[in-house]
Amino acid sequence: MEEIRKEIKKGITVHLIETDKFKTNLLSVFFTTPMLRENVTYNALIPAVLIRGSSNYKTTEEINKELDKMYGAVLDGGIEKAGDNQVLKFYLECLNDEYLPKQDNLLDKSLNLLSELIFNPQVQNGEFNKEYVDGEKEKLRQIIDGKIDNKANYAFIRCIEEMYKDKPYGLYKYGYTKDLEQINAKNLYEKYLNLIKDSKIDIFLSGKLPKDVIEKIEKLLENVNEREPDYIYSDKEENKEEIEPKVIKEDMDIMQAKLVMGLDVLSTKKDEKYVALVYNAILGGTPTSKLFQNVREKASLAYTASSSYLRQKNNIFIKCGIETKNFEKAKEIIEEQLEEMKQGKFNDDDIKSAKRSIISVVKCIPDEQDMGITYYFGQELSSSKMDFNEYTKKIEDVTKEQIQDLAKNVFVNTVYLLKGEDKNGDN
Amino acid sequence: MEIIENLTVNEKVYKEKLENGLTVMIIPKKNFEKKYVIWGTHFGSLDNEFVLPKTGKTIKIPDGVAHFLEHKMFEQENGVNSLDVLSSLGVEANAYTTNDHTAYLFESTDNFYEALDELMDYVQHPYFTDENVEKEKGIIGQEITMYDDHPGWQLYMNAMECLYSKNPIKIDVAGTIESISKIDKEVLYNCYNTFYHPSNMAMVVCGDFNPEDILNEIKNRLVSKEEQGEIKRIYPEEPESISKKEIEKTMEVSNPLFMIAYKDVLDKNENKVKKHIAIQILLELLLGASSPLYKEMYEQGYLLNEPDLEYEFSNEYAHVLISGNSKDPKVIDKRLNEQIKYLIENGICKEDFERIKKKIYGEYITEYNSISEIARMFLADYFKGICSFDYLESYNTVTLEYTNQILKDVFVEDKKVLSVIKGNN
Repeated sequence: MEEIRKEIKKGITVHLIETDKFKTNLLSVFFTTPMLRENVTYNALIPAVLIRGSSNYKTTEEINKELDKMYGAVLDGGIEKAGDNQVLKFYLECLNDEYLPKQDNLLDKSLNLLSELIFNPQVQNGEFNKEYVDGEKEKLRQIIDGKIDNKANYAFIRCIEEMYKDKPYGLYKYGYTKDLEQINAKNLYEKYLNLIKDSKIDIFLSGKLPKDVIEKIEKLLENVNEREPDYIYSDKEENKEEIEPKVIKEDMDIMQAKLVMGLDVLSTKKDEKYVALVYNAILGGTPTSKLFQNVREKASLAYTASSSYLRQKNNIFIKCGIETKNFEKAKEIIEEQLEEMKQGKFNDDDIKSAKRSIISVVKCIPDEQDMGITYYFGQELSSSKMDFNEYTKKIEDVTKEQIQDLAKNVFVNTVYLLKGEDKNGDN
Repeated sequence: MEIIENLTVNEKVYKEKLENGLTVMIIPKKNFEKKYVIWGTHFGSLDNEFVLPKTGKTIKIPDGVAHFLEHKMFEQENGVNSLDVLSSLGVEANAYTTNDHTAYLFESTDNFYEALDELMDYVQHPYFTDENVEKEKGIIGQEITMYDDHPGWQLYMNAMECLYSKNPIKIDVAGTIESISKIDKEVLYNCYNTFYHPSNMAMVVCGDFNPEDILNEIKNRLVSKEEQGEIKRIYPEEPESISKKEIEKTMEVSNPLFMIAYKDVLDKNENKVKKHIAIQILLELLLGASSPLYKEMYEQGYLLNEPDLEYEFSNEYAHVLISGNSKDPKVIDKRLNEQIKYLIENGICKEDFERIKKKIYGEYITEYNSISEIARMFLADYFKGICSFDYLESYNTVTLEYTNQILKDVFVEDKKVLSVIKGNN
């Protein structure tokens, strides 16, 4: 799988991933803009409002009927955080024409439909459709309020908020309910115009693609301006230093407590991100990892015990579901594991299996259509670009000394515990 | 080997029933890096009472044994945990238990045959001791507790509680902390020896394979076992009527969750696949993204997202599930009921029917994008007595008349229940 990349206008790039593995073609359009407190909630609302209706598709029902007729093409809009950027995402997946019972041209229809929804919104008197904005505001309010529903994820979000207080990365990608009161059809449309004018645009197409597809896209974007996009490289170095770990405990009416520990990796050597990936796999990335083995298997303290590495911010997050009363014990065992990493208490087999599991994930990227797009988009946002083979090579080259060196620069920043309220009795 | 080809989606399955009774299905996928293998036994949480084929003795087991057994299979006599071995090989291994089957699987890019050695070794060599069984109770206890805080799971379990009075589908797959406390190694060995016989199992592989070669590799790794007759499973007699109309529970959620369910009975001679397709079409017509009722509920703020629409069935149960979030589930319940009555009286509009059929077609084709989904789908369908290609084969036989009839048969008000999870405030 290879990517053909063409900047069709300054700040607007088309990426083609030619593959015959899938029954579908996948079209994605991403808008990347710096994450800012004053824009975060507006931006979260924009994709939702756009896919509700456009100038030529007046209602959501019309759009959905069109998608049905396109053999259940799937349209989706969403929002992600990529380093210190906020990314507005649009997806349209449709069947490849060769699997249709009747002749059709679904890729053309998809390109037309998505560009219509994004660039030709329903506007009257310099305002979005008020009904759509109000409806989507309510929906966003429920998404934001709903972050408490998934307890493990909520604990994770809270830990990040505490670690990145008053910084872009600490912002919740869906924004804040208190902003919603100020948002109306007019000021939202103004934000949209700025976004369309200034942000970085990436268009991805994966599947069996006709030769003239780039020209088609160029034609569709004829009237879209060039831009000097102001996005932030996702691998920008950050000045971090060791701090006294913060411990935060919060109560909720839950049976199982969620423990999240946010760690800083305070090292800025070249290629350290590959070292950190291997470090993380040994610590908590696989079922043979130290955390899984010691917190779950040996101590029987938890059903879940794992860690993940956040490349863009150089953090590791440890997550466990435990009984509240076992908090100190679990924390102690986790700290022991971090100490063992520092002392180099892991062997060549641990390193080998950690590398294997990372490489296997990389190798499978071409087998999933959206994964390929996510990979190349990640490369697009970082300052250095790299294909799968180079990536694999970097992982293979990591040595034990490098991992141990890195371990000495890993420090706990925040310990966050979401616990069941203390009740009288046997809790 | 039997070759079943489907030209619509352009895929083939190679199928063989081995001498020892094991069914193997191979779905070759050229140029994929990933290789996926899944080995399942027809033993799930529903199978709580059965006759031991060797002695003819009937036994009743505590709730949660199938799932407990799944957890314990990884432990080997030499102290090694097979999950660790597979993980060291760089393959992603896992296992899961449903109400009608238990499955062991891995996906790999490299070291496939070493991993296959390990998989087929541990599934064929159980090792249970009093000590390792006791230890697992702590881990599974945490898993059960984790689901106590899962609003979606509680919603589903409560709906089952309303639909069924005796059917073991109403029991949590993992059992309860109380029921698993009664599990010991004898129970586990009894169940293992009964249900992990090749004649009660099936294996599916998907990836870039030569079918003959991979079949031989599988055969070479099988341990010979004495023949075993059919397992007689005993299920309680379940009335056709529901047990309870409504249930409501309070949990820490921001927005109420609802599940509307219809109890259905699958006739042994009925074409399950055809019925499933018709019900999927009906669900989309009633409350799918392009339906008038969804539009109305969305505009009035009662639904903010498309609800989940599902027909769930095995050999022992069948029901329709409609679930989502709403500030007022009663409104959804009432309007849906009215919409069903309206459609029954007036019949389904032909244009809508054809449009939704197109959508369903796309969904069936798209299922063949992912190696892991293909393998899991073929295994799960196999234990229901279905070949997954049947959905594409039966698609054209689903007519408007048939769908109208299914609407009348299945969406019956007396067979409907409502489960709600409300927030604290």
